[in-house]
Amino acid sequence: MEDLTEMLKGTLEGCVLEIIAGEETYGYAITRRLNDLGFTDVIDGTVYTILLRLERNGLVQVAKRRSEVGPPRKFYTLNEAGRRELATFWSKWEYVSSRIDRLKEAGR
Amino acid sequence: MGIHDLIEGKRQWRAHMARVKALPPDYQIVYKEMQRYLFKVGPVDLTDGPLLSGIVDFFEEGAAAGRPVLKVTGRDVAAFCDELIKDSPTYADLFQQSLKK
Amino acid sequence: MSFWETVTGSDLTREWQAFAARTEALPADYRAACEEITNNLMLYANFSGRNLLPIVDAALGLLEEAAAEGQSVHEVLGDDIPGFCAALAGGEGARTHRDRWREQLNRNVARKLARLGG
Repeated sequence: MEDLTEMLKGTLEGCVLEIIAGEETYGYAITRRLNDLGFTDVIDGTVYTILLRLERNGLVQVAKRRSEVGPPRKFYTLNEAGRRELATFWSKWEYVSSRIDRLKEAGR
Repeated sequence: MGIHDLIEGKRQWRAHMARVKALPPDYQIVYKEMQRYLFKVGPVDLTDGPLLSGIVDFFEEGAAAGRPVLKVTGRDVAAFCDELIKDSPTYADLFQQSLKK
Repeated sequence: MSFWETVTGSDLTREWQAFAARTEALPADYRAACEEITNNLMLYANFSGRNLLPIVDAALGLLEEAAAEGQSVHEVLGDDIPGFCAALAGGEGARTHRDRWREQLNRNVARKLARLGG
């Protein structure tokens, strides 16, 4: 779906955390994953700025490693603080989405 | 350390620009325009922080994957820059703070 | 009275002299622009000069980089030096000037990429 940019603001960071929690991965692969999920508007640059923020806030562990093609890549894994942040994200998400669902049901 | 020291032939800076020159032409264009913009806006850790070399890392990966540069940064390159420096104060910010004291 | 004279005598003289020396090393058109910039930046000083140091440093750095790349001073600063200074110092009008830099960035990218592809 297109034109989700505004709506995804604030949740994209959580999505990136979730993807990293699943397996050690790198920036471009994260973008592809989000695109394949149907968030086709998400671009590499956006994911890059999110990863920088995660790194600066000490939520991820970064390892620079050689790749089969091209230059060395930065691989990301969640650390303890990152896992806590992810748990917080999901509980906030549950809270918001359940309320929004309720609002929608009430309107029917 | 001032930007001056870097421009005047700091080895690191030359190595950095050599990496820029090794990028495909479309990436070089966007990188150079971004750098020019960032120098003007002036986040305080621009020349000794990881921002600029990080952008080159990021661009090298994008180029290696064969992606056109604007697919990577988005069409609004300025918005991409602003997002990159969102959390770092600029000289203007520090200066305005010093006036408020 | 020039900017340099104003601050001469303060404990910052040495730093300002270093800036003056860097200014001297620039091409002539850049030197003139420098003078105008420093005079304009004075409007924002309250003023020991210390808080202005990083801004002058940034402005000089920008000019040095541009000169090294062989750009014209006009290409870097545009016509509006007071506006440019406002943006550097973050004062009134800084918003609009930064918007102009944004537009300039995107326009340059579009133009140069088009020329490349053409």
